[in-house]
Amino acid sequence: MGGSSGTLRSYHDANYLILESFNDAAKRGVHSLQEFFVLAGKALGFIFVKPFYTADLFQQMDAIGVGSIGIVLLTGFFTGMVLALQSAVQLQTFGATDYIGRLIAGSMIRELGPVLAGLMVAGRVGSGIAAQLGSMRVTEQIDALNTLGTDPIKKLVTPRVLASLIMLPMLTVINDFVGILGGSVIAKFYLGKPASLYWRTVFEQILSGGFTLKYIPNDFIQGLTKPFVFGGIISLVACYHGLKTTGGTEGVGNATTRTVVAASILILVVDYFLTQILLAVFQP
Amino acid sequence: MTDDEDDRRRKGEERRHPSEKDETSMPRRARDSGRVRAAIRNELEEVAEDSAAKVPQQGRKPQEEVIKLENISLAFEEPILQDVSFDAKAGETIVVVGESGTGKSTILKLLLRLLIPDKGRVFIDDEDITGLTFDEALKVRQKMGMVFQGAALFDSMSVYENVAYPLREHTTLDEDEIEARVREKLQFVDLEADRVMDQMPSELSGGMKKRVGIARGLANNPEIMLYDEPTSGLDPLTTATITYLILKLQRELGVTSIVVSHDIRSAFRMASKIALLSNRHIGFFGTPEEMTGSDDAYIREFLGGF
Repeated sequence: MGGSSGTLRSYHDANYLILESFNDAAKRGVHSLQEFFVLAGKALGFIFVKPFYTADLFQQMDAIGVGSIGIVLLTGFFTGMVLALQSAVQLQTFGATDYIGRLIAGSMIRELGPVLAGLMVAGRVGSGIAAQLGSMRVTEQIDALNTLGTDPIKKLVTPRVLASLIMLPMLTVINDFVGILGGSVIAKFYLGKPASLYWRTVFEQILSGGFTLKYIPNDFIQGLTKPFVFGGIISLVACYHGLKTTGGTEGVGNATTRTVVAASILILVVDYFLTQILLAVFQP
Repeated sequence: MTDDEDDRRRKGEERRHPSEKDETSMPRRARDSGRVRAAIRNELEEVAEDSAAKVPQQGRKPQEEVIKLENISLAFEEPILQDVSFDAKAGETIVVVGESGTGKSTILKLLLRLLIPDKGRVFIDDEDITGLTFDEALKVRQKMGMVFQGAALFDSMSVYENVAYPLREHTTLDEDEIEARVREKLQFVDLEADRVMDQMPSELSGGMKKRVGIARGLANNPEIMLYDEPTSGLDPLTTATITYLILKLQRELGVTSIVVSHDIRSAFRMASKIALLSNRHIGFFGTPEEMTGSDDAYIREFLGGF
């Protein structure tokens, strides 16, 4: 008898422990989410509140935007080329290789340009922001800012978020252009299509998506809304993990890893839902 | 024990000074404690003359309470502080000592309102800062200068920009006035302004970083200075220099200071009063003389340990 009630008790205890740890994890999750949105709200709100740290903003725009041009050029160009190469093989079976410009332009502007630029910047800039703010946290520089009467969110987070919001769409435009340029190289030298035909189909694609306010192609709106959102995601996730860093240099490493993983996944997930919304709103 | 060892021990005893003979009958721990306390007393006599030169803070009555902690309790996952109370009057230097991990640095964070206590109140200049909003707290922090354990200089800025930072943030001084103030503060901490101003924090030694940290803390002419382990990780000579600087600040500017330290030697040199934090409570709060005279077992053990 005693033995069976003992088993029953431990069975209940195990259930209780599982539930309790699940409860704790859920609470931590909700708490982190709440902290993230508070940080996001403050960082975005401070864009309009004095004092403006203009020098910090330009410094970040340089680091985030100008600093990322190299990797964006490389990834964009090669993605455009490989996309053209793969598509050429498929289009040849239908005899539709004349439309390769449309395909490249559509894919790059709407999808690949923003996502690739986002993933590249998440890897390069997101990790950098998390590591920098994380080091500042563990060496008490964040506390020092607070002590000197400066709000660290205003001084550190807002310029980084604003710089990302401005620079990521610009990087995406560059990425789109060199991607389409890469496609033109394949169209010319692999498929033997004249450049004029390729570029004409590129413009046809852009015009075929319809216009907003008469003059703005819908493809551009789609293609620039995404990097704007991704810029916000990358910088906020990086700042959040950076400022939350604990546990010395190991903590800085963890914050960096978490930033790149979380930002990359978020970019891909948000991209899907954003595409659904944008397609519904800007139907051609 | 072999005969040889016994023999050596006897010879050793014979070499000892006759006056030390009666000490041999005391237990070893008590003997060490006695020597340390005697050494501390000697040191206190040395600095007693200097202490007479202390000036009260300008425009303040010497007995006016500048900082007051009232029944503070704070817990994160486990209790850190329980029912902690002490105060600092104008121009006093309070050194908070205690073993590592007893929540000494937490007290500084409470004073800066980087943390809010679970219970109790913190007063700065008779103003309860526990209920302030974030922006109000930023204003109160401008009355204080803080020197961090690792100096916490902004590593993306030069020494000049670091010291100028609080001036740029909170004053309308023009560039010439800022430069004059930066030079003045760097000279106060015995650094050659021309040599260090353009250097980056990574190019400085530990002691120099601490001094630049003090200069930055002083830039806004604060009424209160807070130091977190100002002498930890420094060699004896640099420790003496930093201790001297804290004393100089107290005497020449009459700044009220709270120093968190586990360096009991330096603590005795600079303290008006010592607060001993043990087991989450204030185990002792009084002058260094009262501390050395105390018969409390823990205090004796604590002093003996150094």
